[in-house]
This record gives sequence, structure tokens and C-alpha cells, in this order.
Amino acid sequence: MRLWKKLRLRLRTLFRRNSVDRELDAELQFHIEEQIAENRAAGLSNEEARYAALRTVGGITQFREECRDMRRVNYIDDLLRDLRYAGRNLRRSPGFATLAVLIMALGIGANTAVFSVVNTVLLKPLSFRDPDRIVTLSDFLSTGQSPTALSKQVSIPDFQDWHDQSSSFEAMAYYSSREEATIANGAAEFARRTPVSPEFFRVFGVEPIVGRPFTAEEMKRGSGGAAMISYAFWQSHFGGDPRVLGQTIRAPGPRPIAGVLPPGFRFPSNTDVWVSAVGPPGSRGGQNWLAISRLKASVTLEQAQAEMSTIARRLEQQYPESNKGRSVAVTRMRDEMIGNVRFTLYLLLGAVSVVLLIACANTATLLLGKATARTREVAVRAALGASRHRILKQLVTESLLLAFIAGASGLLLAYLGSKALVALAPADLPRLAEIGVDRWVLAFTLGISLITSLLFGVVPALYASKVDLSDALKQGATRLVGGGGMMRMRGVLVVAEIALAVVLLCSAGLLIKSFVALQNVALGFRPENVLVMRATVTAPHPFGLNPTRQFFKDMLSRASSIPGVLAAGATMTPPGNVDSTGAYMIGPLPANPDWTRSPFVVTSIVAPGTFAALGIPLKSGRDFTDNDVMDRPFVAIVNEALVGKSMANQDPIGQTIHCTFDSLNGMTIIGVVGDVHQRGPERESMPECYMPYGQHAFNGPALNMVVRTAGDPNALAETLRRLARERSSDVPMKFTTMEAILSENVAAPRFRTLLFTVFAGLAVSLAMAGVYGVMAYAVGQRSNEIGLRIALGARMGSVLRLILGQGLALTGVGLALGLAAAVVGTRLLKSMLFRVQPNDPVVYLAVAILLGIVALVASYLPARRASKIDPLTAIRQE
Amino acid sequence: MSKPTDLVQGTLDLLILKTISLEPKHGWAIAKRIQQVSREALQIQQGSLYPALHRLEQQGWIKAQWAETETGRQAKFYSLTRAGRNQLDEELASWNRLSKAINLVVREA
Repeated sequence: MRLWKKLRLRLRTLFRRNSVDRELDAELQFHIEEQIAENRAAGLSNEEARYAALRTVGGITQFREECRDMRRVNYIDDLLRDLRYAGRNLRRSPGFATLAVLIMALGIGANTAVFSVVNTVLLKPLSFRDPDRIVTLSDFLSTGQSPTALSKQVSIPDFQDWHDQSSSFEAMAYYSSREEATIANGAAEFARRTPVSPEFFRVFGVEPIVGRPFTAEEMKRGSGGAAMISYAFWQSHFGGDPRVLGQTIRAPGPRPIAGVLPPGFRFPSNTDVWVSAVGPPGSRGGQNWLAISRLKASVTLEQAQAEMSTIARRLEQQYPESNKGRSVAVTRMRDEMIGNVRFTLYLLLGAVSVVLLIACANTATLLLGKATARTREVAVRAALGASRHRILKQLVTESLLLAFIAGASGLLLAYLGSKALVALAPADLPRLAEIGVDRWVLAFTLGISLITSLLFGVVPALYASKVDLSDALKQGATRLVGGGGMMRMRGVLVVAEIALAVVLLCSAGLLIKSFVALQNVALGFRPENVLVMRATVTAPHPFGLNPTRQFFKDMLSRASSIPGVLAAGATMTPPGNVDSTGAYMIGPLPANPDWTRSPFVVTSIVAPGTFAALGIPLKSGRDFTDNDVMDRPFVAIVNEALVGKSMANQDPIGQTIHCTFDSLNGMTIIGVVGDVHQRGPERESMPECYMPYGQHAFNGPALNMVVRTAGDPNALAETLRRLARERSSDVPMKFTTMEAILSENVAAPRFRTLLFTVFAGLAVSLAMAGVYGVMAYAVGQRSNEIGLRIALGARMGSVLRLILGQGLALTGVGLALGLAAAVVGTRLLKSMLFRVQPNDPVVYLAVAILLGIVALVASYLPARRASKIDPLTAIRQE
Repeated sequence: MSKPTDLVQGTLDLLILKTISLEPKHGWAIAKRIQQVSREALQIQQGSLYPALHRLEQQGWIKAQWAETETGRQAKFYSLTRAGRNQLDEELASWNRLSKAINLVVREA
């Protein structure tokens, strides 16, 4: 109650200032009049009575302030007044205000945009219940580094033993996920389908919002199984109709829909349909699954890891032929997801904060320039009794206002910027779709606006408030005040700006050079003008080979006869990705083969004509033909890397190769092809074994047709679609080009190179604006001196040289410092560089030359102006 | 003439509260009353009186109201609030303690 009264009084004082002041005046007036009346009663004349009364009262204004002070509102009032004053000041110099806001908005906006990505990808907790307790269980070879991500996968028999023998987990599950032909509500298309084991949904703590969980019967091996659909899929394919339950979805076999999962749950990778994994468990070597588990609340990650290592050792002894040298790694899901991108994102955040620092230095030099112009204003205020503290507060308020306007504009830029980042970012960046501006991002913007206002505002404010009154108030003395110190300070700031910009420029240069090197890698095939058509034939019998092979055989023979088609083939995996790996042995198979000691091989199924279509050179032997079918001798084609590794001094043609693929049949090598960079240009070629699509059932219904065309490959897509539709109405198709697939391969390096280049560009522009500002200011300061020199006969050229020299000296110092810092700083980039060393002299030299030229241009304009100074005007000004 | 700064710290508040405890008074009357009762020993300067009044009002111990004086003029009258009356009691008690203690020391020592 009392609190409320007090608050009301204070608010009244604050907002009804005029009426409160009027009341105070009336009160004092009354007092004075009473005093006058008393004085008169004591026998003084009217005049004397009045004079004496006023004398006793003293300074009314000071008095009023004291009363206001008592009401404890002055600090708020001061702030409001300072803000109003600051606003007026900024309006009075719109050019300066716009420039400063623009510079800071760019800095703050870029930082906020990058932070919004960091926030979502690295900081925001995963949107599952207790996400920190979700861990992945992955297989690893204790003998050495696994060459591909695939080797993290686990087999069902191993998983079953982990499940039965461990006690660290609340729930354990395995899953695998891929795009599959799906027929829902009559439409055939690709949808992401994920077979899951019984406890999968318990790991994440999700339950269907419509329908029911899978029953024990539906989870049983060999049963028909059931399906669960995502909320998004429910909306897009069934219009959110609850009668969806019990309807059949073919993915690829028919499954009744048991339930709809809550919106937002799409794990893994935007799954549309989850089905109960009811297929055969496969062998211990069949590592085709990913395992995920929820830790019990009482168990730490280390305890779980210790338990799993023990179990893995036990399995090693029990099943040496399959499990020798293999162990389990327990990793937090979050770390697993963001492991690769964490460093890149923090590096980008570091780079963009350097841009912000430069922007701050830039704004500080602007404010320093302004401080000089305001010397007299500050001096007048000081003379009228404002304390230095009070003046400082006023100046800092101005920076604060500036920073907040910039922050608000920066937020707008960040909103657009984060959209651009999402569009540019590699598609495999985790949680890409969630990126946006949330309250943490807002808090971040507010925070950096505050911090930057101090960074760029305090030094100029200190300079501006340190005024020698008698000097400053003298007419025409403005120029001299604070000149030396302030000039030095601006020089220091500009040197810092240049040095920081050089570091960013060197980093961007290294990344660009590395990216160019990446683009110039000979890939081993010719990606231009190749259309890729992914299609899945949903045959009545999912593993029946004939109808699916027949479809592709027909398509290939029709496609080859289309005018403009140079070659056509089909492959399980177009170059750029690896879908399947295994181990291989050359020669007859020993009685107990130890596959863990065997070399790795990429395995892939192709149709005849694929090498010609992709432009992979056949080095010796022959291509597959349509006669390489099940009842003929098994054949294979290997690449040169495999020959180099295992048959360096022999003729590979005619040798027998065994691969851990869908069968262990020995295959006769009938040809050798050139190496392809299977995992993108960055990584070396691996041994590869190609097998004909007529002899292997694995990956049966799904293949990628690759068609080389004379012209634009995209023009062919419609023809192929029509041909496919003539054969079957429920074959889903997806078209892309080889070049688009490759571009995905280098999406990550392209992303960071582009961002670094943008940041470096910003940094250099800001630094050069700084050089220009300082030089222009110096010319203004020295115009008398220059005028005098010209009057005394200095040539235009020598004046130009004088000013240019000064500008270049600043740049030189900044450049030297920057290059030294870059030598140290760019070591951080080492892991991202491809065939470029962090201390590449060409890049450093190019940066030095570029910066020199830009600095020359930035100082030339002021220098020219200096050389045009009219000596008469300049000297008369004094 | 005794300046308010010579007053023991916080005594001005006590004087004001006590003076208006009987009936509401305006600033001039408060100053005059203190002067009168103290037989001219205490002269309250306007420069201390009005800030003190505003401070007391801010603390919720007194409240102000515009009203007519006997001479028919508008003046701001201050009166005690309930909280102010409690405050007065407290300050009176502590003043009594203090003055008694000082008297003891002054007489005995």
C-alpha cells in the first residue's frame, strides 16, 4: 500500500513535471509573500520588505533542484533528458548518425545472424525429453581409424547382446533410414522411411498423438509390422484426418498405420514414416544399423562406456571371426550431431566478431572526430557548472542511443541474414530448419549493442569531456584543442582496424585458394551434362529381382535411342557419396576368413554402360553386358586403387575377388577402371569393386539412372519421366544432375569460404573508410600548414606525397601487424585447407598488394583536396 | 542564530513531524511555529525546510493538500499520515532516550 503510494508520487513527479514544478513555485511564492508581509509589519517599506524577503530565500532554481532531488527522480529524469538531448544531437548531424548507425548495424547484424546459427546448432538443447541422456552406440575398430561413417553402424545380433547384457540404459534401439518409394493414399513418391526396433520411441520419450504405439505383435520378427507417420506427413497426405488409423501405407511392403507422432518429431533426418523392423536379423557382420539409447538417470556416460567396453570384449572372445578388434563407443547424441560443425561455426563467429571490432573502431574514430567539433559545446556546458561526470554520462548516453538504433537495424539485417545463411548452408548442417531469431538471439543483440556502445563510446567520451575551459572558450581555438592526443588515438584505432582486416583477408585468401584447388581436382569422371534419375520400382515382391531389373533394362535401352543421348547406365550410388562398404579378399577364400584384417572396399552395383555414361575410363578388360545375370559366372570390375593395393605386380584380369556384400560368391575380375573420388574431391580415392546389377539383389528396387547428353541434361528429364510412366504408374522418380550432386559435396567448404570472403570484404571496406576518415581529418587539421607550404612554393606533387605518405605509413604499420597476426591466426584454419599451407606466401603477398592499392585510393582523395588548398583562404582562416 | 546544520542529525524531521501532529500547517507556519516555541532559538531556513518536507512526503510520513489560510489565500498544508504518526512516536522515543543519556553525561561527568 505504502509502496504503491510512493510509486505514484514518484511517477507524478516524473511525468507531471510541469504541474509539480508549478506547485513548488506556488508554495515558495506563498512563503515569500508571508515573509514580505512580516517584514512590512516590522516597519520596513514595501521595497525593502520585498528585497529582504528575496534575500533570505536565496537561489530559487538551486532550491527547486534540491526539492526535486529529495523526490529521488533526478537520475531517471537526467537519463530521459540525456536521451532527448542525444536524439536532438543525432538529428542535427544526420550524415554522421546515418553512417555510424549503418556501420554498427552491419557489424551487429552480421554477428547476430551468425549467432542465430550457432545458437540453434550448438547451444539450444535438442527438443527431446532430457536430451542429454540420449546417446549413440557406435561400432569402431580398435585396430585403427575407420575410413567412412558407415563403419559406425552395428549389426542386429551384436545389438541384441548389448541390449540383454547391459544395465546402463533405460531404453535401447536401432534404426536405419533412407529415402524409399512410398505409396500413401494412392500417390507414389520418395519418402524418408525408418525401420525401428521396439524401444525406439521410448529412447526419445515420444508417444503418438493419434492412435497407439506399436503392439508386441507388430514388433515381432516375421510379422506384417505396422507404420507410424509424422505429423507433417499426416497433414500433407491425409489432410489431418483421424480416420487415417488402420489405412495401409506401402513402404515398400503394405503396413497398417498405427499412429501419428507429435509435430516436430522427425528423427532421424526428417523421417516421414517409421515402420517396425521385422525383417531377418542378419549376421554379425551385417552392420547396417545405427544404435541409440537413453541413459538411466543414475548412470554417467563414463559408466555406460565402461560397461559397453566390457560387453564388447566378451563378444570379441565369443565370436572372434566376426567381432575381433571391434568395440563400442558411447557418445552423447548432441556431440555426435555437431562434432563436425562446432569448430567451423565458432571460427565463423570469431571472424564475424572481428568485423564487429573493426566497426567499433571505425565508429570510435567517427566519434573522436565529432568530439573535436563539439569541444566548444562541452566547454560551455562545463562552464555552466556541469561536472565532468555529468558530461561523460551525457556522451555515453549518446553512444548508447546510437548502439541501440544500430542494434534494432542490425536485428532486421540479421533476420534477413540468417535466412540467407540457411539458404547457403550445407544441407547436412544439423537442425538447419530450426534456425531463426529467438529470445536468446534477441538477448545477444541487446548484449552486444550494450558492449559495443562502451567499446566505441568511452574513449571518445573521455577525450571530449577532458576540456581545458579557458582554451576552449577562446574564439577560434577549437582546432587546437585535443588535436595531438586525439589524432594519435585515431591513428592507433585505424592501425588496429587495418591489422584486423588483414587477418580476415589472409584467412579468406587461404580459403579461396583452397577452394579453387578443390574445384580443380581431377575427379576421375566427367560430371558435366549428366542427368541422374533416381527411381525405385516397387515390385509386388520387394526382393524379386526380375521386375525391377526389367524396368531399368527397358528404360536404358529406350534412353540410349533418344537423340542427344550419348550414353546411359544405372548405378546404386552416383560418385560423390558412398552407400556401401565392406572388406575384400583376392584369390580363393580360406577356411576361416578374418575379414577384419582385410582391406576396405567401396562396393557398388552398376548396369552395363554406366562407365561410359559417367566418363570413367576403362583401363583394361571389358564392361558388363546384359548377359551377366544370376545363372552365369559371377564377374566384377575393380578400380586402379584396388589393383595398386592388392595386385600391383599381377594381371588383375581373371583373378577372383570376394567382397562382404550380399553374398560371398567369388567373382572373376573382367575389367579395371580409373579411380573416382567417391567421397568428393577433398578425400582420396578408395579401392572400389563394381558388380553387375543382374547378379546382385541388394538394393534391388532402387537405382540411379545416369544419362550423358549432348546438350542440357535437364531437358531430358520430362522425356524420361514419360517413358517411366508408360511402364508403371507407381515408380517414384527424382531428377538431379551430376554437377548438382558434386556441388553438394563441396557445400561446406563453399559455405565457409563465402562467409569468410564476405566478412573480409566488410572488414576491408570499414578499415578503408577509417583510413579515409583519418586522412581527411588530418588534412582539415593541417590546412593552414599546407596552405603556408603552398604559399612558400611547395609543388602540388610534394603536397600529394606528404599526405599520401602519411596514409601509407599508417597502412604499412597496420599491414605489418596484421600479417604477423595472420601467420599465427591462420593456423586455426589448417584443418580446413586443401593443398594450401596456412603460411602460403602468395596469399600474403596478394593481401599486402591489395591492401596497399586500396589504402592508396583511400588516402588519395584527401591528399588531392590538400593539394588544392588555396593558400590565401587557408591562412586567412587563422 | 542557529543554523539547521547545527541541529542534531535527523532532528529537523522530528521537529516538523511534531509541529504538524496537532493540526495541518503550511511551510511558513511550520517554520514560524518552531521559531516561536523554541523562543527564537531555532531558525529554520527555507532552503532546508522545503526539501525536508518533500523528502518526508516522499517517504509517506506526511501528506500535502492545498487549502485556504485564515487570510483567504491558497497554501499547501502538510499533515501527518498514519505511518508518519508511528514514525513520530518512534523518533520521540529515541529522542527522549538520547537527550536523557546526554543529560546524564553532561551532569555527572
